[in-house]
Amino acid sequence: MIEPLYIPGDRWLHRLPAGYKLAALVIAGVGLFLVQNVWGLLAAFIVAGALVWSTGVGAAACWRQIRGLVWVLVAIGVFAVVFQGWLSAAIVLLRIAALVGLALAVTLSTRSSDLIAVCERALMPFERLGWVNAGKVALALALTLRFVPEIWRHYQEIREAQAARGLARHPVALLVPLVVRTLKRAQQVAQAIDARGE
Amino acid sequence: MLIEFDRTVVATPQSQALRGVSLTLDQRRIGVVGPNGAGKSTLAKLLNGLVLPTAGRVTVDGLDTRHDIKAIRRQVGFVFQNPENQIVYPIVREDMAFGLKAQRLSADDAAQRIQSSLDSLGVGHLVDRASHTLSGGECQLVALASVLVMQPALVVFDEPTTQLDLRNRNRVARAIAGLAQQAVVVSHDLALLQDFDRVLVVVDGQIAADDSPGPALRWYQEHCA
Amino acid sequence: MMKTQDTVLIALFAALIVVLSLVPPIPLPAIPVPVTLQSLGVMLTGAMLGPTRGLFACLLYLLLAAIGLPVLPGGRGGLGVFFGPTGGFLLGMALGAFMTGWLARRWVSVSGSNLRTVLAYGVACIVGGIGAVYLIGVPWLASVTQMGLGKAALAVLVFIPGDLVKVAIASWVAWRVERVWPILRESP
Repeated sequence: MIEPLYIPGDRWLHRLPAGYKLAALVIAGVGLFLVQNVWGLLAAFIVAGALVWSTGVGAAACWRQIRGLVWVLVAIGVFAVVFQGWLSAAIVLLRIAALVGLALAVTLSTRSSDLIAVCERALMPFERLGWVNAGKVALALALTLRFVPEIWRHYQEIREAQAARGLARHPVALLVPLVVRTLKRAQQVAQAIDARGE
Repeated sequence: MLIEFDRTVVATPQSQALRGVSLTLDQRRIGVVGPNGAGKSTLAKLLNGLVLPTAGRVTVDGLDTRHDIKAIRRQVGFVFQNPENQIVYPIVREDMAFGLKAQRLSADDAAQRIQSSLDSLGVGHLVDRASHTLSGGECQLVALASVLVMQPALVVFDEPTTQLDLRNRNRVARAIAGLAQQAVVVSHDLALLQDFDRVLVVVDGQIAADDSPGPALRWYQEHCA
Repeated sequence: MMKTQDTVLIALFAALIVVLSLVPPIPLPAIPVPVTLQSLGVMLTGAMLGPTRGLFACLLYLLLAAIGLPVLPGGRGGLGVFFGPTGGFLLGMALGAFMTGWLARRWVSVSGSNLRTVLAYGVACIVGGIGAVYLIGVPWLASVTQMGLGKAALAVLVFIPGDLVKVAIASWVAWRVERVWPILRESP
């Protein structure tokens, strides 16, 4: 039910290995904070924008991802202009926009499975220490993806039942059955896994 | 396979689910009926170690459930009442592969077994479907397929048709009837058990009747309806 | 020792947080911004599962967002939020789940009176669901926007009333559910 944000494509950004993109993003994250020059940050913002555009993302999808941030930026911008002046405001806004843009470009051009593979490699030393069980993490990930649609469906059923009885949206009456059923489901799913498990 | 219950007791601080049951089962089709809370599910779950006896023991093909659970679970498959909570992975194919992990098959062999297991139940076309799009009946059949793909000798069903509509109930009933493996079926659906070899009636934690389907189900209807 | 049951609970509560994040925001009287149920989900997760499982469930939720799935409110996701001004609030939620769970397990007792139990959950949710979240979120916001801590704290003040309503709801729900299905006391 949840469609990944990844945009399938074959441009050069898509073909860069996920690990490199993540590393570059982290470096950019640190680096941009060291840059105080507004023109440098403007250039970074333009580069970020170009990278996002190069992923082939549609306008609607892109807007949905940055919509929330835009309001936050407006608030921050107004605040910064009032208390710190136009130049400071421009620096702060451009930096944030550039960084979020770069991160968005990575998300749009990298498969979720590739990012998971990077996580697995990063967790390997911890697995050798016995702190993390990669199999269980993978199972948990699969279980969550499997059951989000079912829990969503149950949420809708409860809401419809409430509406049918003329009840306004009552959060407690909605959440108690939702949580109880999730707990019950957990018990049954665990038994089913144990019955088939290794 | 030979299933033996030896003075098996399952007790919790609150109640006694099973009081000293001793049985030997080796028939091909065994049914289990009884009122709610009588201990039928407990009896079924003893067969693959999901429930362990608090006293006495349960052996399947000579293996004790308290010591050899892994070996037993390779031989004994289990199909549960709730169709959707048995399918654990987002895509049917992945879920089928989950049970095969321990068997270390080659990718091709695994794929072939998965497809033929689904085909044998008439749901081969579901192999690449998203799990949440399956109907109740399809879930049950896929769950059964994911059990069969591990090639168990015995399959235990705990009220497999209770949550299904009539058409899907019939599909599952046909699947059970056509199963090559030995089967133990706990059910409220008495018609399901009509052609079985043996039916146990569990009342209040004990075996109240143990006979071929005709007499056993009649006893059940006279005393428990 | 993590049993299958624990892994499944972690996974399903992560899924629950996803569902609650995607429920359309609810407008509340006298509160300027409609509230999302995301932090409510996190509070509930900590309150029901305890510190370790609660933390892992929240981390799993954050991982889903990080790898590019639209599980954040409004269907957002990906690394963008983690690298933006509000990233600290997400990490704060993970700490919050842990704190809520830790306090709930310490204070919620089976034998306590109903009022005491709900209050115990309430304080646990305030410390975890509000305190921990802003403890990390506000300094992060302040440094990304170069706003200064005091001003950043002032900026988030507008969300507190909505958060308190969520605390009340989460405490009530946790109490009701735990009565019917006690799992807080289990390991780990």
